[in-house]
Amino acid sequence: MAVVEQISSPYPDHIDTIPKLFWHRVEQWGNQVAMREKEYGLWNEITWEHYGQRAKQVALALDSMGLAAGDVVTIMSENNPEWLYCDMGIQAAGGVSAGIYPTDSFQQAAYILSHCESKFHFVEDEEQLDKALEIRDGLPDLLKIIVLDMEGLRDFSDAMVMSFDALLEQGEETDRQNPDRFETLRRRAQPDDTALLIYTSGTTGPPKGAMISHRSPLMTGAINRQVWPMSSADEVLCFLPLCHIAERSVSALGPLHDGYVINFAESLETVPENIREISPTLFFAVPRFWEKFYSTLMLTLKESTRFEQLAFRWAMSVGHKVSDYKLNFQKPPALLRALFTLLDWTVLRNVKKGLGLDRARMCISGAAPISPDLLKWYHALNIDMREVYGQTESGGGTTMHRKGAVKFGTVGPPLPGMEVKIADDGEILIKGPLVFKGYLKDPEKTAETIRDDWLYTGDVGRMDEDGHLVITDRKKDIIITSGGKNITPSEIENQLKFSPYITDAVVVGDGRKYLTALIMIDDENIMKYAQDNRIPFTTYASLTKAPEVLALIEKEVEDVNKTVARVETIKKFHLIDILLTTDDEEITPTGKLKRTFVNKKFKDVIDSMY
Amino acid sequence: MPLLRVSNIESYYGPVLAIKGVSLEIDEGAIITILGANGAGKTTILRTISGVLDPEKGTIEFMGQKINGLAPNRIVSLGISHVPEGREVFDDLTVRENLMMGAYLRNDRIGIREDLETMYGYFPILRQRTSQLAANMSGGEQQMLTIARALMSRPKLLLLDEPSLGLSPLLMQEIFQIIRRINTEQKTTILLVEQNARMALSLAHYGYVLETGRIVMADTCKALRENEDIKEFYLGVKEDSIRGARRWKRKKKWR
Repeated sequence: MAVVEQISSPYPDHIDTIPKLFWHRVEQWGNQVAMREKEYGLWNEITWEHYGQRAKQVALALDSMGLAAGDVVTIMSENNPEWLYCDMGIQAAGGVSAGIYPTDSFQQAAYILSHCESKFHFVEDEEQLDKALEIRDGLPDLLKIIVLDMEGLRDFSDAMVMSFDALLEQGEETDRQNPDRFETLRRRAQPDDTALLIYTSGTTGPPKGAMISHRSPLMTGAINRQVWPMSSADEVLCFLPLCHIAERSVSALGPLHDGYVINFAESLETVPENIREISPTLFFAVPRFWEKFYSTLMLTLKESTRFEQLAFRWAMSVGHKVSDYKLNFQKPPALLRALFTLLDWTVLRNVKKGLGLDRARMCISGAAPISPDLLKWYHALNIDMREVYGQTESGGGTTMHRKGAVKFGTVGPPLPGMEVKIADDGEILIKGPLVFKGYLKDPEKTAETIRDDWLYTGDVGRMDEDGHLVITDRKKDIIITSGGKNITPSEIENQLKFSPYITDAVVVGDGRKYLTALIMIDDENIMKYAQDNRIPFTTYASLTKAPEVLALIEKEVEDVNKTVARVETIKKFHLIDILLTTDDEEITPTGKLKRTFVNKKFKDVIDSMY
Repeated sequence: MPLLRVSNIESYYGPVLAIKGVSLEIDEGAIITILGANGAGKTTILRTISGVLDPEKGTIEFMGQKINGLAPNRIVSLGISHVPEGREVFDDLTVRENLMMGAYLRNDRIGIREDLETMYGYFPILRQRTSQLAANMSGGEQQMLTIARALMSRPKLLLLDEPSLGLSPLLMQEIFQIIRRINTEQKTTILLVEQNARMALSLAHYGYVLETGRIVMADTCKALRENEDIKEFYLGVKEDSIRGARRWKRKKKWR
């Protein structure tokens, strides 16, 4: 096994918690831009000083209203600067910060609020307030609900509800009366205290609250510096839910180390425009976004002139050749490199500009497996695209591709300080300073997950000869057909998703004679296909039933079938006929189909395929 | 075979793609409604069917014959009559002259006279105002006049664009009753575009919901009336929140 590099916090000893690091940065970077928010069409800048001031007011107000060290405070909002003010404020008051997905129903929110005994609950607006009011009777620990955006609530008053502005004022007032309070308060948290509580969407059973200490996010500073050095000149677009460990690491914690600028996307729908406006230098997204970019580009290409198509194809074929060399850790021949540089300047740069990725020094895909073909395609486009592997329980990233050493089909070597080993049954085990503390109020699950300091990930994989980790699948997702063959569905699913017409797929076949698939079509692209080929349709459902669309998907499935072993071929498939959104239980907040849910919900359909 | 079959039509207003691929079918004798917010593309669909606009893509078949690309007057003579939005009467003509304009393409004098009587039967007020200038009539009377004028070409399919717009509730009721009678008595097939979703859904048999140029729902009006999204976004039925007042809207799902 490879020698594990020891890693230590890059900060002096007195900076050992997130609040301490945060205020160190506020003092250091005062006038620098910390984030930008688009309002009425303008990107407004927010400095570190302002960020610090707001967080301080939140901390003091919560303290004055009775927040004790270790109390949990919840935030239920879309991403915005206030989210981060609250996050930092809560931790500065010695509290534990927990995000709840704004798409969660009030029942789901009720579970989390009562499970973590939340004392204060920040809600984005009227809609989230209504959910909170609906459930507050069952929440004896809840002291206050704070509303970030009071629009439409002017005439509403309730003893338990206060506006964010009122909270800030109260913080201000506390500071006037007791100017020394804050200095002691922000030193209250200890390195091993829980800083973040991250609820993981349990595919079975209720969500579990993963406790992350102050210590581990501080360590990532040292890791980042080695693997993806950033600076205050870097720009990041924040659009995935901050409740998720990935976006939290990138947008809330990352800037504390490197001071890069966070730009809040207006909404998920506007991400393509926002990327073009910001042209981020680091772009982190889930595979679903990378797939979407790819398919949009491929379809735009169909509409472009013949010359443009030829030029693009040529550039990409050269790009693929270059990446083939890189894949084998070889330097491409000088002539090929020169040609690629030329084509990059003349052809690919424009394409990347159209995507908003022309300044991107590095792109990262994570939170779900991405198809190696897609990864390779981005490299052929001369985009430094890397995959990161990790989970909430491992404090975010565990392994990651390194610069110039991206091996397709692997998720790269372990990050510095992280140890990875494969158990006898193939399960991936992780040890290192980033591993979480355990699940809140669930010692049983915790003991199951962390054994002898090793985190049992539930993923199955292997280490290749170069020390890069290869993920096979989730342990419990592995399909054993009635013929006794072990099949890893995610590999096949990823190939299916590579089609511009398929957004997501779930392969089924456990205990069955053959494999089938439930497929979610890409509505935009399929509608376009239908229009171009004069296939009449009315609604989304009718689109999924059109014989021509079925034939199109069948061809895509056939193409995938050709590349896999015979037992791995998809014999039948069904197109999901409702347009699922992240509001639906079948989809995770990062846009993946939930296997267990889908299996249950479409049981009849699945049964009918056998 | 449906009376009208619209397949994959796309129409532009200048550079703006107003309908992005719409397909629908209308069976003979039915009342079909298209619901949708302002700017969804409802009127554009009607204008494309009646030939005022040519679709960029797609086909329109009427009684099995392709009609897109034909001049509007040819389409009228085939049996499609369009009642445009906004009560567009010929101001300087009398009521009777207006009605006769509707029969412009016909030359069966007896038939025309009979139809004129039928129209006066449906809309008695038009008989009273027969020689009055259309400009001097009230909004409701003008609306009746445009409907009657359209029927004077003895259409098989009547395209009705917002007939209730700007009318008093009572008058609206009256117009809708007449539309229903025309459908049952004259066997005229009707394609109704309407902002008043409650009225439209109670009158029509089948409905399409149009959002930004695309059909997002299609079902019988009975089913549409029961749909949660239709209730909230078109019928204004809202479950009150715990505060007693809810301003925010949930996301549309259309299923």
